Amino acid sequence: MRMLLVEDNDDLAETIMDRLRAEGHSVDRERDGEEANALLRHAGFDIVLLDVNLPGRSGYEVLRSLRSRGDDTPVMILTARSQIDDRVIGLDAGADDYMVKPVDFRELSARCRVLARRRAGSASNLFAAGPLSFDRAAKRATIHGRDAQLRAREIQLLEILIDNMGRMLTKEEVADRLYTFEETPSLNAVEQLVTRLRRRLEGTPLVIKTARGLGYMAYVADDD
Amino acid sequence: MTTEPGGRSLQRRLLASMAAGFAVLLLLISLLLWAYARGAANRTYDLLLAGAALAILERTSFAAEGPTVDLPHSAMEILALNPDDRVAYRVFSPSRGEITGTAALPEPGRALDDAPHFYDAEIDGTPFRLVSQGRRLTAPEGREWVGVQVGQTVEARRAQQWSLFLNGMAGLAVVSLIGLGFVWLAIRRSLAPLRQIERALRHREPADLSRVEGRPPREIRGLFDAINGFISRLGQSRALTESFIADVAHQTRTSLSALQGHLSLASDATGYDEMRARVLKADRQAQRTVRLTNQLLANAMVIHRSDRGSLAPLALRPLVRDTLAEMLRDSRLRRLALSFEDEGLGEGGDRIAGDPVSIREALRNLIDNAVRHGPAENTVVVRLAEAGTEVVLSVEDAGPGIAEADLPRATQRFTSISRETAGSGLGLSIVGAVAEGHGGRLELGRSRLGGLRAALAFPRLMALLLFGVWAAALAPPAARAETLNIFSATDGPAMAPLIAAFEARNPGLSVSYSEFQTLTLHRALLDVAPGAMPDLVISSAMDLQVDLVNRGLARRLDLPNELRPPDWAAWRSELFGFTFEPAAIVYDRRRLAEDELPRSHRDLASFVRDNEARLSGRIGGYDLRGSGIGYLFATQDAIQGPQAQRLAEAFGRADLRSFCCTAQMVEATAEEEIAFAVNVIGSYAAAFAADRPEVGLHFLDDYNLVMTRTAFVPLAAPRPDLGARFMIFLLSDEGQGLLATRTPLIPIRPPAGVETPILHQIEAQRGSFLPIRLGPGLLTYLDRLKREQFLSGWDASLGRAVDGHAP
Repeated sequence: MRMLLVEDNDDLAETIMDRLRAEGHSVDRERDGEEANALLRHAGFDIVLLDVNLPGRSGYEVLRSLRSRGDDTPVMILTARSQIDDRVIGLDAGADDYMVKPVDFRELSARCRVLARRRAGSASNLFAAGPLSFDRAAKRATIHGRDAQLRAREIQLLEILIDNMGRMLTKEEVADRLYTFEETPSLNAVEQLVTRLRRRLEGTPLVIKTARGLGYMAYVADDD
Repeated sequence: MTTEPGGRSLQRRLLASMAAGFAVLLLLISLLLWAYARGAANRTYDLLLAGAALAILERTSFAAEGPTVDLPHSAMEILALNPDDRVAYRVFSPSRGEITGTAALPEPGRALDDAPHFYDAEIDGTPFRLVSQGRRLTAPEGREWVGVQVGQTVEARRAQQWSLFLNGMAGLAVVSLIGLGFVWLAIRRSLAPLRQIERALRHREPADLSRVEGRPPREIRGLFDAINGFISRLGQSRALTESFIADVAHQTRTSLSALQGHLSLASDATGYDEMRARVLKADRQAQRTVRLTNQLLANAMVIHRSDRGSLAPLALRPLVRDTLAEMLRDSRLRRLALSFEDEGLGEGGDRIAGDPVSIREALRNLIDNAVRHGPAENTVVVRLAEAGTEVVLSVEDAGPGIAEADLPRATQRFTSISRETAGSGLGLSIVGAVAEGHGGRLELGRSRLGGLRAALAFPRLMALLLFGVWAAALAPPAARAETLNIFSATDGPAMAPLIAAFEARNPGLSVSYSEFQTLTLHRALLDVAPGAMPDLVISSAMDLQVDLVNRGLARRLDLPNELRPPDWAAWRSELFGFTFEPAAIVYDRRRLAEDELPRSHRDLASFVRDNEARLSGRIGGYDLRGSGIGYLFATQDAIQGPQAQRLAEAFGRADLRSFCCTAQMVEATAEEEIAFAVNVIGSYAAAFAADRPEVGLHFLDDYNLVMTRTAFVPLAAPRPDLGARFMIFLLSDEGQGLLATRTPLIPIRPPAGVETPILHQIEAQRGSFLPIRLGPGLLTYLDRLKREQFLSGWDASLGRAVDGHAP
């Protein structure tokens, strides 16, 4: 993956770059918000890791101008501020995730993979995780190359979960996206559908996690 | 730092209780004063009633048909000394019934005798004070009682009662204030020791936590001890803070030393495996240091925020949901079975006064604890429930929990219960601080899942019922035509310019003007259906207008001072005069030279007598039975003195000709039918005479009666606002100016700059004009018996047969 790290502290930047490069990613680095902004105008990246306190232009401003150009490159905010209000501002400004420094490298890698999966799932027509592959255009899922024989609703649910990889969806949100206005959205039906899909996906690394009272979240297990 | 605004001043509190005592005292005194003022006011005004009753009784006599009375003008004048009140009187014979006056006034509860008896009663719903007194007349059949009742409304009494009362109270209030001033001084003196403590504390160095020394008075020894107690607790707290800082220093330094140690050992290591083991240890130590630092910062933040009063109304449910959803993104929590239960929570039952940042921190710490100390596949249940006046946020897990014996220690700082998992010892202490900062509490116990149950209880905000405030949707007043309804005994053409100007000033308003004779107007107002009342009543008959107002038919108008007519032309702030119309003599210039004209009423009588032959049948005067104005002028002349009688006799010998109205008299003078006419209305006469150069207008030097045209707004007027508006217009500079220039009438308050010949003539003889006063005095000659007596006396003087018919 091609990544851009915008971080003014050289030591921290070096360790992060080393870590990510060791995982096989190609990483560019910018120190200055202004320069990062200029670079992002021309070059495309798969993921941007953005510090908040930057010389030139703050991370939020860089993010805002990125989004205002219609660029939906996944952005991970790195901040040293512990007040959570700031994080909310970051997410509202269009960030996909955030982490508080000092960051755990393993966690950073895991989050980056989730972002990449999410991006890949919605940007290309083909999503693959271990033996599972999902062809968005053909509306077809295969496991080990064999048709997983998913019903139309299950395909729909799978698509929704892949689009929101690593993000908690409430049961109501799932029902809203699955059912049209004419159909009565039944929360029970959602539950049963999730249970069925989970059974079908057994043996694949795609996990549908249920948090009772909160909702569902999909992630790819062998990423860790 | 200042005290809370809620803390009330001790001095003020003492002062307030003293003031309350004074207030009770004032209340008692005011009750006594009220009764006294009532008695005093009654005594004053009862004298007027008694005087009037006596004056009337004196004039009762026994005539052929039975007892009768010649109502004295003085009686009404006595009552008019009280300028504001309406009057009522009645003369009656217990055996024969009513003689004159208002029939059936309320009677006192006792038999008639010759002593005055005062009592209160209501007449048509208005409170009156009355006197009743009797007199025994000698009749052919023996002695017979005749009774008099005189009453007045109680407005002046009330006003005087209030005035006496308020003056008395004002004096008392001043005395009370002075008293309170002394109390204040006394309080200040006795509170001096408190200020001494204040000084002692104010100048103290912040580091000085020694006791306040001194010998306080007995009353504040408790306070003194409490302050010293607080100072010593503050000292302990500071010691704790110092030990916390020492602890923090110790913890971070230890942690960093360990890290440093591992790293330096790693750099000294000779073999790769040894170095790798050291580095792994250093990595774990670094993680612990990071966590410790985060916890210390969180702890500082929570304590800081609880100081700042950052609590605001907050819904817990979405906050908890969002925090949990956010935490679950962490890949370390993927194997945690987390569930959220909020079934025990009603709609809106999750509202508290809270700080979202601190609560989120507390929740993170609780879940973090469960993850850190529990098994990898831990189960965590987060529950929100109502419990009475509290909302309980509980986190339970299936981990090892904390032993019963260790629970009290668990929330202490830097106390990590479990050695192996090596917490910072700050997590639960942060949660405890959050609970405390919200006025809630943290309860630790054993969960049904087997592990720890940590429950945060927050005081719940009671559901607020917000009533929408709807502003009364007042429809904008529709622009519809309005009508002002005037009943008037003044000829329409005279009023027309005023009405036209008024309508021009008030677009959308039209005036309906109904013209009446004075007597018909009077009767019409007594008989009119309540719905058909006019909005304004105008009449030249002052006495009849006073009678209507005396019956309580008029509405009070508070006119601006600059518009108020002079005192004589206003009564009770209800009836107002707006013209100045002197009685005058018109004469034929061809017959009478100006210098031969009489100068006074006495001269006039001699002049008529001296020129009897020449003037016989050539003197004009009002027909008193037919004309209200003529009757008013004649009776007022009679009040002025005995020469009126002589004048009447002189007129009788000269064969006075009676006319209905001023216009005819001017006409007759112009046509040489008469030589002069007396008591014509000066304003009209001047207007008519303007076209007739042969007719002259003459005023006497001793006195010239002046009447005024009056107006009032009826109590039952459908649009009193419009009536009042017209009244104001009549009395305004514009209305008065129009009266002077565009009508035959003369304004009562000519505006500056307005000049007319008649105004000029009046100005030249200023001082000789005697205005007829509006008031109860005018009621004397309205009395039925009095009127009959006056008219028959008049007829007799003129040498005419008494026809005995009342008009």
